[in-house]
Amino acid sequence: MKSQFVAGTAIIAGERDSGIRVRQNNLHAVMAVANVIRSSLGPQGLDKLLVDDIGEVLITNDGATILDQLDVQHPAGKLIIQLAGLQDREVGDGTTSVVLIAAELLKGAYDLIVKGVHPTNIITGYRTASKQAVKFIKENLSKSVEDLGKEVILNCAKTSMSSKIIGMQSDFFAKMVVEAVTAVKIEGKKGNKYPISSVNILKSHGKSLKESILLNGFALNCTRASQGMPRAIENAKVVLLDFSLNKQKMGLSVHVQVEDPDELEKIRQRESDIPKERIEMMLKAGANVILTTGSIATECLKYFERAGAIGVRHCNRSDLVQLSKATGAPILISLADLEGEESFDESMIGTADSVVQEFVSDQELLVFRKCKTSKSRSIILRGPNRFMLDEVHRSMHDAICVVSKTLESNYVVPGAGAVETSLSIYLEKFSKTLESKEQLAIAQFAESLLVIPKTLAVNGACDSIELVSNLRASHNTAQKENNKELMFTGLNLDKHKVRNSLKDGVLEPLISKVKMFKFATEAAVTILRIDEMVKLYPEQQQEGEEQQERMM
Amino acid sequence: MSVLQKKPQTKKTFETSEKHKDVRMSNLINAKSVSDIVRTSLGPRGMDKMIQDGKGEVLVSNDGATILSKIKIVHPAGRMMVDLSNSQDVNAGDGTTTVVVICGSLLQAAIDLLDKEIHPMKISESFRKAEIEGQKYLKEMAKPVKLIDNDSLLKAAETSLSSKMVSQFSNIIGPIAVDAVMKITNPEVDTNVDLKNIRIIKKFGKTLEESKLVDGILFYQKIMHNAGGPSKIENAKIGLIQFQLSPPKTNMDMKLVITDYNKMDRMLRDERRYLIRMCKKIKDTGCNVLLIQKSILRDAVTNMALHILAKLKIMVIKDIERDEIEFISKTLNCKPIASIEGFVKEKLGSAGLVQEIGTSDGKLVQITDVPNKGKTVSVLIRGSNELLLDEAERSLHDALCVIRSLVKKKFLLPGGGAPEIEVSYRLREWAETLKGEEKMCVIKYAEALEIIPYTLSENAGLRSINVVTELYNEHKKGNKTMGLNVKKGAISDMWKDSVIQPFLVSSSALSLATELTGGVRYFTINFSLFIIIIIIFNQ
Repeated sequence: MKSQFVAGTAIIAGERDSGIRVRQNNLHAVMAVANVIRSSLGPQGLDKLLVDDIGEVLITNDGATILDQLDVQHPAGKLIIQLAGLQDREVGDGTTSVVLIAAELLKGAYDLIVKGVHPTNIITGYRTASKQAVKFIKENLSKSVEDLGKEVILNCAKTSMSSKIIGMQSDFFAKMVVEAVTAVKIEGKKGNKYPISSVNILKSHGKSLKESILLNGFALNCTRASQGMPRAIENAKVVLLDFSLNKQKMGLSVHVQVEDPDELEKIRQRESDIPKERIEMMLKAGANVILTTGSIATECLKYFERAGAIGVRHCNRSDLVQLSKATGAPILISLADLEGEESFDESMIGTADSVVQEFVSDQELLVFRKCKTSKSRSIILRGPNRFMLDEVHRSMHDAICVVSKTLESNYVVPGAGAVETSLSIYLEKFSKTLESKEQLAIAQFAESLLVIPKTLAVNGACDSIELVSNLRASHNTAQKENNKELMFTGLNLDKHKVRNSLKDGVLEPLISKVKMFKFATEAAVTILRIDEMVKLYPEQQQEGEEQQERMM
Repeated sequence: MSVLQKKPQTKKTFETSEKHKDVRMSNLINAKSVSDIVRTSLGPRGMDKMIQDGKGEVLVSNDGATILSKIKIVHPAGRMMVDLSNSQDVNAGDGTTTVVVICGSLLQAAIDLLDKEIHPMKISESFRKAEIEGQKYLKEMAKPVKLIDNDSLLKAAETSLSSKMVSQFSNIIGPIAVDAVMKITNPEVDTNVDLKNIRIIKKFGKTLEESKLVDGILFYQKIMHNAGGPSKIENAKIGLIQFQLSPPKTNMDMKLVITDYNKMDRMLRDERRYLIRMCKKIKDTGCNVLLIQKSILRDAVTNMALHILAKLKIMVIKDIERDEIEFISKTLNCKPIASIEGFVKEKLGSAGLVQEIGTSDGKLVQITDVPNKGKTVSVLIRGSNELLLDEAERSLHDALCVIRSLVKKKFLLPGGGAPEIEVSYRLREWAETLKGEEKMCVIKYAEALEIIPYTLSENAGLRSINVVTELYNEHKKGNKTMGLNVKKGAISDMWKDSVIQPFLVSSSALSLATELTGGVRYFTINFSLFIIIIIIFNQ
């Protein structure tokens, strides 16, 4: 402690680092994070196997998932991970690309700073470039879904899947995803919505991927509460509860005091009569499938059995919310009516054509078919092992996001590095029209974008230099001669050639690209502005250790 | 400029006769090195600091007050500098870096003067005289501004934002700041702005470009959907309650005793009826949106109550914090209601629309179209990472403060170091009329002020000595508004380049024994004197 009273840098209880060293450190942290996922980009990208500190194993290709698992200490690294998370939440796809671009932007900026360009110039340049890029994509590279026909949506899903474990079966799964997403359409004033939460994905171990099925309806990962209940019910009347059907318990401050043992028995009786009355009320109104988030007392099960109704306990609330949308039954948290009594009427009942408990591999599921609004679909994934199932689940999630975003935003752009290369050429030209210092930064931005086609080519074991030059050449001609055909040239990694991405159906939603550039630029700018890092020592109790460390 | 050289640290010995001088030196040097920490963040080319605290939490900021309050300064004299920047933050809201940098420079001047064996009392006295004189020059430079002159306000806000991380977005944040302040003030009469009337809501996601001003009110709290209540209400009648919608609790040592089973039923029924009575009473007044204050003692609202309210088609937003109550009641023109007996129609507020707006990071509730809305606004800030979001909030606060300063005192000054150079030049002129130690001190004081243009150009990578001397020459010619345009990297007329800052009158309560009114800089100078005096007297 004593030394900290000396003037100079030691006046704070921590370490200071400034100037180029901070930038270097930040860049290293960001590059380290980006390098982890670099090799998983694109159709030829490979998966990562992650084992966490308790031995849990995860195999994935999804950028956001990989980064989420990494325990990164460095603040700049954390920022990049947050960036991937944001892209995942807002778009659902393109998480790897956004991280790669942000890292490349920082690397480019670092080179410029070393050359003596002031960071604020670089920041202004990057921002201008990002704005120009978004404008250029919207004006020149995007295609409306209507112009291209229905195939487009399928192709978007396939493109998203191509880099994933289900790339081989992308035809099969893409069809499934598109069918599911289009089915859950909600028409609104401001355009249609495709809520991804309405597509329920269940995983079931066993059989092969191809045996995955799409159900018209909702599959619930729960079973009936007792064996005495029927396995299947036609014309189901569904009731959703958010409370337990247990013996009624009194509050904490309520004491039961009886003098007569008979009274005690009566009270007990009454306690178990309350749920009984509730159940009977519902059954009387016609309900024959009752689901609850809470429990159902064992002695109450007999009422269900007697009436031939299904009772399900311990459901997830989120599942019930979906079921509520599908069947039209509200979720009840109480049966109280406005007179202070309890009552139940038909408005609280939802309908489904059938509710069947089915065997899917070694697991039983409760399947709700042809619900009232039929705004719900379930996909039951099959697969040989758990890791694969988890990864297929994530890939399906990404694809569903892509399809839903494409349908909502209605515009697509060519994939396979076409957008990035085209932008790179455009921005390079654009930079030359500027006389200010930002010119360098914009040129750097253009250069950095090439990381996507380069990485794609490298991961595909192609000659990346040749392929990217080819790509650049065709985009250059495209822009010079205003050739709309060549504008959509992308990489074909199977044949190690360039080709028209639009024709080959390698497509991505516009919104994914636009957000990607915006987010990556913002993240890069945040890190670029930092020129000093102050790391404070942990609070008092660790003081001793700190000093020991320093002595060592 | 000797300002930048670090003084070699004198040996710290308390036993020798040199004690007094050494302690004083140590204080001065320590305080000065605090100002060195924030120097690099001054001006449009200033950079940010990343601070990781002991718990590993990270903050990126350019704001002097924020940086200094986060890093733990150990030395007491250094801590005084932190307080100084905090006071500036409270008083003017902006210029927190400037104040620390000037103070550091003045301390350096004091060190030099002490070396010349000038008595500390003499130094502080002369500094104060110089400062009073400097005030006069500042006043002469200032230009009056009208609050209806949106353009000038915008320029002032953008100047303040130009040094921040969000400077690229100053065309978005600037107008938001100006509009926000103008919406809550009456330019004719008001001489102060209560920034509490501006509610800043941060939400992770999207980019800063999507930030906006909401003429209404936003809530982090969610609409309760447990019982399936409505999620959008038009023509809302809003009730703000501070009581709980839950069954009453008995005291800890009191017990309800049930002796037979009929009473059990009765209890359950009474509980329901109690709640129904309350809810119906609320419904009877026409209320259809209920804001419920958070309660520690009891559930603010039970599931049963939610169920009943949902049946009555009343929207419920719970967990309103106590300190939000005032803002809400002011905005919506409603009165907080403390008991069910007092729930009457007159206390309700109304709004055209209450709805949920979805973001990728959860939902927000937005109330808009409020008739006769109180003078409040809400600002929604979006950002693609949390560090940026936090810094954007601070920057917006600074911009708001700048506008507030203009409301407080409707004068503008040129930026870019022009006022400092002007004062410095005029003081030197004035020093010619003085003699003795005083003259020396005033000259030193004038020199010390050059730190601002010096640092600005240094941060921008320009040749600082050239810049300062050239500025000096321009001011000698009488071009009072010439300053350093950092973005262009050249000296130019600050009015034309619209680099302007407010001239704020800080209340004299904070200043020492002077009756003169002053601005941001005045306050600065006063305070640094204050520090020096304290340091000297404390020996």
